[in-house]
Amino acid sequence: MSRAYALNDWYAVADAQVLARGPRRTMLLDQEVTVSGTTDDLRVIDAEGSAYPAQFRYGHVWTSLGDAPRPLFDIPEADEPGRRLVPCGVVRVKCSPLRAVENFLDIAHFPFVHTGILGSEPHTEVAPYKAEIRDDVDEVWATKISFYQPQAAKSAEAGGDTQYLYRVAAPTTAVLYKTCPPKPEAMDVIAIFVQPRTETECDVWPWMALYDDVSAFAGLVQFQQEIFLQDRSILENQRPVKLPLDPKMEIPTRADLTSIAYRRWLKSKGAFYGALTEDA
Amino acid sequence: MLTAPVGLIRDLDPKRVMRAQVNGQDLVVWRASNGDISAWDNRCPHRGMALSHGFVRGNDLACLYHGWHYGGTGVCRYIPAHPELDPPKTIKATVFSVAIADGVIWVNTQGAAEPAPVPMASQPLRSFHVVSHSESLARACRTVAFEGAFPEQLEQGLYQLGARQVFLLENPLDQGRLQITALADADATPEGCAALSRWCEAVRRSAQEEKVAA
Amino acid sequence: MSQFTLYDYVLSGNCYKIRLMAGLLNVAYDTVPVDFYPGLEHRGEAMRALNPSGTLPVLVAGELILSETQSMLGWLAASFDRSGMWYPVSDAGLHAQVLQWLGFSARLTASVGAARLNAMLDWPTDIETVRGAARKDLDELEVLLTDRVFAGQTWLVGDGPTIADIACFPYVALSPDAGFEHDGYPAIRNWLYAVRSLPGFVTMPGIHPLHELREAESDG
Repeated sequence: MSRAYALNDWYAVADAQVLARGPRRTMLLDQEVTVSGTTDDLRVIDAEGSAYPAQFRYGHVWTSLGDAPRPLFDIPEADEPGRRLVPCGVVRVKCSPLRAVENFLDIAHFPFVHTGILGSEPHTEVAPYKAEIRDDVDEVWATKISFYQPQAAKSAEAGGDTQYLYRVAAPTTAVLYKTCPPKPEAMDVIAIFVQPRTETECDVWPWMALYDDVSAFAGLVQFQQEIFLQDRSILENQRPVKLPLDPKMEIPTRADLTSIAYRRWLKSKGAFYGALTEDA
Repeated sequence: MLTAPVGLIRDLDPKRVMRAQVNGQDLVVWRASNGDISAWDNRCPHRGMALSHGFVRGNDLACLYHGWHYGGTGVCRYIPAHPELDPPKTIKATVFSVAIADGVIWVNTQGAAEPAPVPMASQPLRSFHVVSHSESLARACRTVAFEGAFPEQLEQGLYQLGARQVFLLENPLDQGRLQITALADADATPEGCAALSRWCEAVRRSAQEEKVAA
Repeated sequence: MSQFTLYDYVLSGNCYKIRLMAGLLNVAYDTVPVDFYPGLEHRGEAMRALNPSGTLPVLVAGELILSETQSMLGWLAASFDRSGMWYPVSDAGLHAQVLQWLGFSARLTASVGAARLNAMLDWPTDIETVRGAARKDLDELEVLLTDRVFAGQTWLVGDGPTIADIACFPYVALSPDAGFEHDGYPAIRNWLYAVRSLPGFVTMPGIHPLHELREAESDG
């Protein structure tokens, strides 16, 4: 296990609603922490009472356990007027935090895991797309992705090709941009903020920034929860539990370019918390 | 014992998939539409998903995650994300030897499956897990009465219950569990089998309670 | 034409019972999504005005307001199943057995259902007690379904599917969400498969479709 890199990243450990209900005692990187206060006056402490930095961004409380935290990534769309910001609660999954992110970056599973919603047979082909590690921003990006979806969003009644763009902003944070049916010139933003409890268990906070003035809030949340809970039953059944970074251990294809770039990026950074490395 | 019983063929119709474990090896055991039974490493080589959650199409097993199809030899035959691609033959599930005897599915993870002999003319009773060990189970078999009398142990795993006989096959699992595949004598009626199944359940509970008490 | 309105939460096994039964009977209905989690909207004043117990689902059909899934299943079958198969009230023995299983389904909600909410959503509960009860309920169901195998039967009651099967199906099928795998329960596995094979079957997160090829495709 290597917490060294992970310690200096920021992690979501509560949202505004959780915070309003009282202190949340939770686990982060094998360490117990308690989050309390208000969005303006946050407090994150460990079991011994030591305090850690905290900030409120993207509807969530973020903290870092390291001595020299890297800056929290930017999601500029969060501040665009007209978007509805939709926190979707938190879901516990017995899996590596890195497997949770990798699954979020994957489209080829849509017809089999999100059948009738995000994909359906026989529309299973993944057309060539581009995935790259962007050294200037130190992120993984996947672009030019198009995939047939029977019901692409809550606001979509019919099927059609949906365009996607994926962005890995931190080892445990992935953001996707996808076609926004009511506003063709814009893209909906959907993210997962993964709180690594341990290397093999995480709390996942899905979050959305949408152009959708029509759907009821509960409907938007449930659409996202439905999708993520379909993934949960996959994530809890992958072996080994930790994400293998040794390319020999699992067999990718062209459809897995994003995953290949993500694994390579983790390896180059030494971001090994939740990963299975060759010498392990 | 390298060849282990993993369940009853009665409980695995064509197109069904189940999970099993032999010698610590996690297995998917599945039955093709043509009736063939296979036992593989329970892991899709693509992303490590448990194949026991998969589905059968024709005579292929497909992984639930991305729908990759594997034929009876374990070789990947179809990758839905690339429908035109002929998958490299190197993409292959790890295959183990299976044998069927006395209505029992036997698997060997280290060589050819060789079923152990069943010392009576038998019919399938039931397969179940018990959180206990061999000795507690044998003790429970002797001390849980059937129709008012204590069963007599005739040999390892074989019990006389009045006019009936039960043969229990053991397969050790992880977490202190045993998988039991139980057979009844061939003459038992359906009602008789139901009664023997209830006796197995009483034995299971008794063996588990002893474990808890210990 | 919509026959009723369901106040619904997509991850709820109890709400799913009603969606499943409506699917099997091919009954059209409207849903109102309720923010059960994280919003706890079902406990709010607006929902309590409809259902004082503050639970989901709630079924509204004209003047009729139902808040217990057993009564909803009975109402759906009595209203929309012309065959009489799903709720066999004309046979006292079968009827009583169905009612018995409806009682068992409530136990499953309190055991497996509670363990699942805890495992998924960190829902507060007495987890040791609940997990013990869940294991006991699943063991008990396995034995009773094994009896049915010897009787040459597939379903819980009689020789066809009834609302008893639908009431018990969701939390048994969802038990792996709480770490209760079906490996040691062959009779349960085969019964779950039978339910999943019914025409009109619908899924929910944690319960996957059989992904069967349609006839036209499998012929090719």
